[in-house]
Amino acid sequence: MAASTLWNLRTFHPARGGEVTGVSPGTLPLAARPWWTKSLVRRATPFAAIAAVFAVQAAAGAGPVLAFPLYLTIILLTALQLSRLESLETAVLSAIALIIPTLVKGDPPGDVATAMLLALVLMVASLATTAVVLQVRQKAAIAQRRADEIAASEERMRMMLEAAMVGLALIGDDGKWQQVNDRLAVILRRNRDELPNLTLEEVTAETDRPALAEALALLRGGDIVRWEGELTQLRGDGTRVPVSLVISAAPGRASGESLLLVQETDISARKRLDGLRDCLVAIRHVIVSGFTWEQAVPQVLGSLCSYLGWDLAQFWAADHDRQALRVRHIWHREPAGFEAFREESQATSTPMGVGILGRVWQSGVVAAVEDLSHVNDYSRSEIAQAAGLNSILAFPVVDSGVVIGVIEVLAAHVRGIQDDEVTMLSTVGVEIGQFIRRSDITQALRRSEADHRAIFERSPIGIVRISSDGELVESNPAVLSMLEYDFVALRGNAWPDLLRAYDQAAARQQLAPLLAGIPSASSVQIRAATASGKWLWLQLTATSIPDSTGRPEHVLVMIEDVTTVRETSDQLAEALESQRNANANLEKLDHTKTEFLSIVSHEFRTALTGIQGFSELIRDGGLETEEVRAYGGYIFNDADRINRLIGDMLDLDRMESGRMSMRSGDVDINEVLSEAITRSSTSVASVDFESDLDPRLPIVAGDRDRLIQVVSNLVNNAVKYSPDGGKVTLSTRTEDGFALISVADTGLGIPPDEIGHVFERFRRVRSGAAQSIPGTGLGLTIVKQIVEMHGGKIWVESAVGHGSAFHFTIPLAAEDSPLQRRHA
Amino acid sequence: MPETVSPADASKFTVLVADDNDVAQRLCKRVLEKAGYNVIVAMDGLQAVDVALSQRPSMILMDVAMPGIDGLEAMRRIKAEIPAMPIVIASAHSMASDTDRFLAAGADKVLSKPFRLADLVAIVGQLAADKK
Repeated sequence: MAASTLWNLRTFHPARGGEVTGVSPGTLPLAARPWWTKSLVRRATPFAAIAAVFAVQAAAGAGPVLAFPLYLTIILLTALQLSRLESLETAVLSAIALIIPTLVKGDPPGDVATAMLLALVLMVASLATTAVVLQVRQKAAIAQRRADEIAASEERMRMMLEAAMVGLALIGDDGKWQQVNDRLAVILRRNRDELPNLTLEEVTAETDRPALAEALALLRGGDIVRWEGELTQLRGDGTRVPVSLVISAAPGRASGESLLLVQETDISARKRLDGLRDCLVAIRHVIVSGFTWEQAVPQVLGSLCSYLGWDLAQFWAADHDRQALRVRHIWHREPAGFEAFREESQATSTPMGVGILGRVWQSGVVAAVEDLSHVNDYSRSEIAQAAGLNSILAFPVVDSGVVIGVIEVLAAHVRGIQDDEVTMLSTVGVEIGQFIRRSDITQALRRSEADHRAIFERSPIGIVRISSDGELVESNPAVLSMLEYDFVALRGNAWPDLLRAYDQAAARQQLAPLLAGIPSASSVQIRAATASGKWLWLQLTATSIPDSTGRPEHVLVMIEDVTTVRETSDQLAEALESQRNANANLEKLDHTKTEFLSIVSHEFRTALTGIQGFSELIRDGGLETEEVRAYGGYIFNDADRINRLIGDMLDLDRMESGRMSMRSGDVDINEVLSEAITRSSTSVASVDFESDLDPRLPIVAGDRDRLIQVVSNLVNNAVKYSPDGGKVTLSTRTEDGFALISVADTGLGIPPDEIGHVFERFRRVRSGAAQSIPGTGLGLTIVKQIVEMHGGKIWVESAVGHGSAFHFTIPLAAEDSPLQRRHA
Repeated sequence: MPETVSPADASKFTVLVADDNDVAQRLCKRVLEKAGYNVIVAMDGLQAVDVALSQRPSMILMDVAMPGIDGLEAMRRIKAEIPAMPIVIASAHSMASDTDRFLAAGADKVLSKPFRLADLVAIVGQLAADKK
């Protein structure tokens, strides 16, 4: 208390402000003062007072003893103020002043002694007083210094609290704020007066309240003395702020109320930066590890929402013709009532330049609205707000400077939007744009690769790829199924053979070997066996595939199974050949027909020449009777010849067209031959006839009249071509179920170049002596037809100058025929 | 066989009839002799060449379809030796194409068989008149 009083006294004496020097640190130093004025006044004052006392004493004539209390008073007063030395100085001077008048006046020694005593007392008293005063003053100064220090400390503390970046507060048992600092009010964006009416829990987001309540309970129960956590609090303006919270138990008050000290730090900046950084990292991760935009987009939109505190994200892509933006992907938090908004978005197409999205598309600049209720150019505003979506941000997705889409994010509360977030999302938009293009290219490449792979795998044509040293690198399934090998067996066993076969076939076609580098596709056909030993015709078409430097890197060989083609073409060639033959035959037939007509007309006209000429002679008359008879004979012969010619031609035509009727019956060939000999012998005298008939010759099945025609024709020919004295031999015998009949002569014989043609029409041997032998030229043709119609054969042996032998066969009749039995 | 070769009467226009057909040969011989020409005959192509070269008839009446060498070959050989020898081809090959073929082969006239006797006489008569 004394210190405080002294302090108070001091403060009321500003003239002595210098005295607080030691107490109040920070005041100006003593040396800086003009010492001589105040010090002079201070030092002179006591002496002036004493002189005044002396003056009053002298005037009043009072004794020193009387004046002593006055001196003492002055000295004491002085002693309160002055240092010990000054007090002593004042006392000594006062004592001398007391003594001097006594000595001067020559007062009795008793007076002098008294004065001396007085002076001594005065000095002792002043010294003692000074000592006491100094001690007291020292104590007072110490107390003052302590009080000042406390006050300064309080002030500093107060300043610190108010200036702290940390929100500080006390809350009581009821959870209400009791004392809060400015910072806390700022963090919560609430009036400092309003806070004591609210509880800590009331300013905390609903989702975080349970955790907070639990912490408070633990603290109040004394289970813990300190709790730290991060949670979201509700600001006075409706926004939210993430805070770091430290709650610690404060020492209780006298009332017994437990107080909790709350320290809050606004970590929204940190949170936001963390969110931005994490979001960017997450999106980049998705972009780097994702293959396609379609796969990556849910994660990208999800990352935007979860890291940046948005609740719904939509990707709008520009149409191909760049007429409108349409929603391609939507992501939102669960659970949420965003269905209506989602459907509305999907039904919306945004033209360029219209609304927030349209402007972003047009300008390529991020647009953000913190509170949708303040804007009127967002078409889905009402539905968005109905779904609780309040803030929106839209940023462009840019590829090579062209906005190819817009990503729109919405938050289910009013959300602050900072520049750094805008900047970051601009960057994200560019990176996504690049990714989309890259993924498009990648997808195109993959598709192309897949297409080519599918062509390779599914091609019905076998395709193999071989390295530049001939090793089989790859083979499609068509090759394996064609050759019935698996790949390993094909590479190890079959391929080297195929390669060799190719080179051999290529050499035959003057083509380069397979590994020599094939400038353009060239095909060879080779014969190759499958694993099961089936032989195939393979067509191999090889092409060199150069690497980027143009050096042949590998060779592509297409393998086709052309077995069918090859066989078909062989068959075709055969068919063509036979067709060609048929055509040749037709031509020959045509030619034969023309020739036939020519020959027939020649034969007729030759015969008619005589008929016409001689009949004209007869008609003109003037002939001898003998001449007329001779000419009539010529005419008759030629007419007969024409008749026979016509008969033969008609017979032949009927036989060749199958219209000749054959009466089948049992014929005794020996009998037919005997009759022929008998008939010829009587009419022809120039030739001898012999017969060598097999008596056991069975009966044959045939048309008797036709067989007689055959035999007589052959006999007539033999006679015609035999010179006088020639011999004609007829013989029969049995051979393998046939009767073999021969008619041999010793005539002219048939030249070798004619012998193959004797059975053709009008092929008459006319060389040499045979020239004048008459005949229709159809006889042997008819004979051959008749024999063949009986199921037999006819052929001829001949040597020019030695004669000819015609042989023919006729099948024997069945065993049980009547004639057969008769012979048996 | 009648006399096939008779010595040529130098004073008369002589016709060689070459024909393998006996009847045709007789007819021609009878008609031409009656018309006042001397007639010699040949039975085939080779004989016709021999007779033509050895006896030098005034003209030849030549059949085509004959054994050995045919009438055309015989004509070629004769014309090679005696280019001026008039040769009439008398053939039963009497299509238009045949006539052209014979003329192209060097025949002076073509007489198609069967022929009217007057035609035969006219052709020979014309050649005889040309010769004079």
